[in-house]
Amino acid sequence: MNFLKNVCNSLIKPVLPVNSSHQLNLLSSVQQVRGTKKYVRPLRIRYPMWFLRQNRAKTIENLTKDNKAFIQEVICDKFGLENIEGGTPTCVSLSPLKSDPAVYTEKWRPGTRRVGLIVRKIGVYPMWQKDGTQIATTLFQVADNHVIKYIPPNEFEPVRKRYRVKQREMGAVIVGADSTDPQKFTKEYCGLFDAAGVLPKNKLCRFIVSPEAALQAGTPLYASHFRVGDIVDIRGKTISRGFQGVVRRWGFRGQPKTHGSTKTHNRPGNIGGGGEKARVWPGKKLPGHMGNKWRLLKGQEIVRINTKYNVIYIRGQASPGNVGDLMYMFDTILPLRRRKADEAPPFPTFFPHKLEEALPDDLYIDDMHQFNEPTIQYEPEKVEKKKK
Amino acid sequence: MVSLALSRHMFRDVSYLPCLTKLTVSESNVRCMSAVPGPKPEGPKTEPNSQNTDDRKPLIPDRYRFKYPDLLPLPKMEWRNAIREKLERRDQMARRSQIDIPEFYVGSVLAVYQNNRHAADKKQKFVGICTQRDGYGLRANFVLRNVIDHIGMEIRYLLYDPTIEKIEVLRLEKRLDENLLYLKDAPPEHSTFPLDMEPEFIAEDEPVPINPVQVKLKPKPWRMKWEKWGMKGIAPDSFFPGQLKGKIPLVKPWDEMDLMKQYRQTIPEEEQQEIYAELYTELHQQDASRKRTRRKDSKKKK
Repeated sequence: MNFLKNVCNSLIKPVLPVNSSHQLNLLSSVQQVRGTKKYVRPLRIRYPMWFLRQNRAKTIENLTKDNKAFIQEVICDKFGLENIEGGTPTCVSLSPLKSDPAVYTEKWRPGTRRVGLIVRKIGVYPMWQKDGTQIATTLFQVADNHVIKYIPPNEFEPVRKRYRVKQREMGAVIVGADSTDPQKFTKEYCGLFDAAGVLPKNKLCRFIVSPEAALQAGTPLYASHFRVGDIVDIRGKTISRGFQGVVRRWGFRGQPKTHGSTKTHNRPGNIGGGGEKARVWPGKKLPGHMGNKWRLLKGQEIVRINTKYNVIYIRGQASPGNVGDLMYMFDTILPLRRRKADEAPPFPTFFPHKLEEALPDDLYIDDMHQFNEPTIQYEPEKVEKKKK
Repeated sequence: MVSLALSRHMFRDVSYLPCLTKLTVSESNVRCMSAVPGPKPEGPKTEPNSQNTDDRKPLIPDRYRFKYPDLLPLPKMEWRNAIREKLERRDQMARRSQIDIPEFYVGSVLAVYQNNRHAADKKQKFVGICTQRDGYGLRANFVLRNVIDHIGMEIRYLLYDPTIEKIEVLRLEKRLDENLLYLKDAPPEHSTFPLDMEPEFIAEDEPVPINPVQVKLKPKPWRMKWEKWGMKGIAPDSFFPGQLKGKIPLVKPWDEMDLMKQYRQTIPEEEQQEIYAELYTELHQQDASRKRTRRKDSKKKK
């Protein structure tokens, strides 16, 4: 081998300038590579075709103050002034829709799928029902959502295809959340938002919709897209808890702390049987990484909506993810809890300018106690007199 | 080099520079305002910042953080969110417009009138001494303790529970500790209050009196190792001689000096000022109208 190396070096030197990478390349073609083969796992997540490289490489641009101000000016000219609407920073878009506003004539029918919302979990606090029972409510704020693009059924190609199953013809609506400084992103990524005419968004998501529920690019989405009493599903990533043992991860009971047991308190115990099946069965619950997984929480009831701050209150506190995380909220897929034919939602979405009167700040379901209502009273039971 | 040496010297012995020590002490007083009403006697009242000469802004009384501790959010950075806090505060104020949630402290004697659907006549009244105050925002709660028919009873009430009809302060005072959990291990006379107790008169705008009573505990067994907790309200003769000897106290006096820890565990003063400034007019109006009704009632009684 040494001899070979020397030969190679002597060959390279007169032709090429001394460069280690060149040397290595040549050497690798000569050296034995049988034992050094590495298995590269294929990526499990394939980004959809419409998604482009998002973040720009950070370079040190020694911009002067004036130059920075000029860039801000250009951004303002293109997208409008910075503004805070309902507590979230966005911009007063000069013209929210580049082309003429679309006219939506289609009506909602049971079975049509509408677009969903990208929401941010902002906390949990108690509320009371009219009968005095206390419930926990989780608050989700609609994170400055705009429709970015609609992909019709003939162009839409889902990332995961179901083979041999003929599906309905469905399109996709791409929704963006959280307007951000365009300097952060690549040129191509910013180009995604040209049609919508909004500031580039930090988060993009696509919702599969029926072709009737298509929306024009640039349409803003509000919390009133849903109505109080609606049943929704929430999809998000659970809190990452790291490598956990079997007791924390799967709720095993562990083993006694005392009575002579040593070093086996949180262990799983026996993990397989003997005899013919002398092996561990696939899918056995064992220690491993816990959390940081996509989870879908189905059948959650909206009990209150704040239209001013675009906040949706949901009964219960079981939603995946931590406070501040983004999640997706859409009409439920549960067959028995879907909307009936007479419960038409705002379709294809809620348009505030179509209302004659603005909605009140807070909307509640009927059996929810409002804090500005008087104290809850119970009627005394009527005691029936016993007949003598 | 000189400056380095000097700074090292300063770190070693801060008292060497009297002006520096003064500065740090005053800073710590301002910065580390406890969000929980502590029983510690308040220091000499300093005048509001002379630098803040904006006369249009209402001056927020310093006692608000003791009077309305539940209007502050939970000081856990990961869970804080400005919008949620705002909505929560609005809900709290909406409830406060319906009932009078009075000023009270751990050690005060309260009467709570509640509508209870499980009670025979749908109403319930409980009198007791407040042994704990917990929680922030709509979760704020307190525990009342009383001994009824020789049985100790404790009920935890949520401050903003809409089934509570009325909260009445029968005796407004503070104790020496932040909680009175040791009353469970004290003889029953310390936590026995008649159910028909009449409210005691306290002149308005007077500082809340501190009750310096020290409780002698019952002999062991106790619920907690009280000798370790350094409670001021437990009489020293509750412990037998030598009980404290050789034990590591759970109290950490150095925590008071840990400015960063205090900063993380409390809401900074500037934010407190902002929050109370937002609610000041409403709170002030509620206070004034309630004072008026109280005066009218007292005149009627006479």
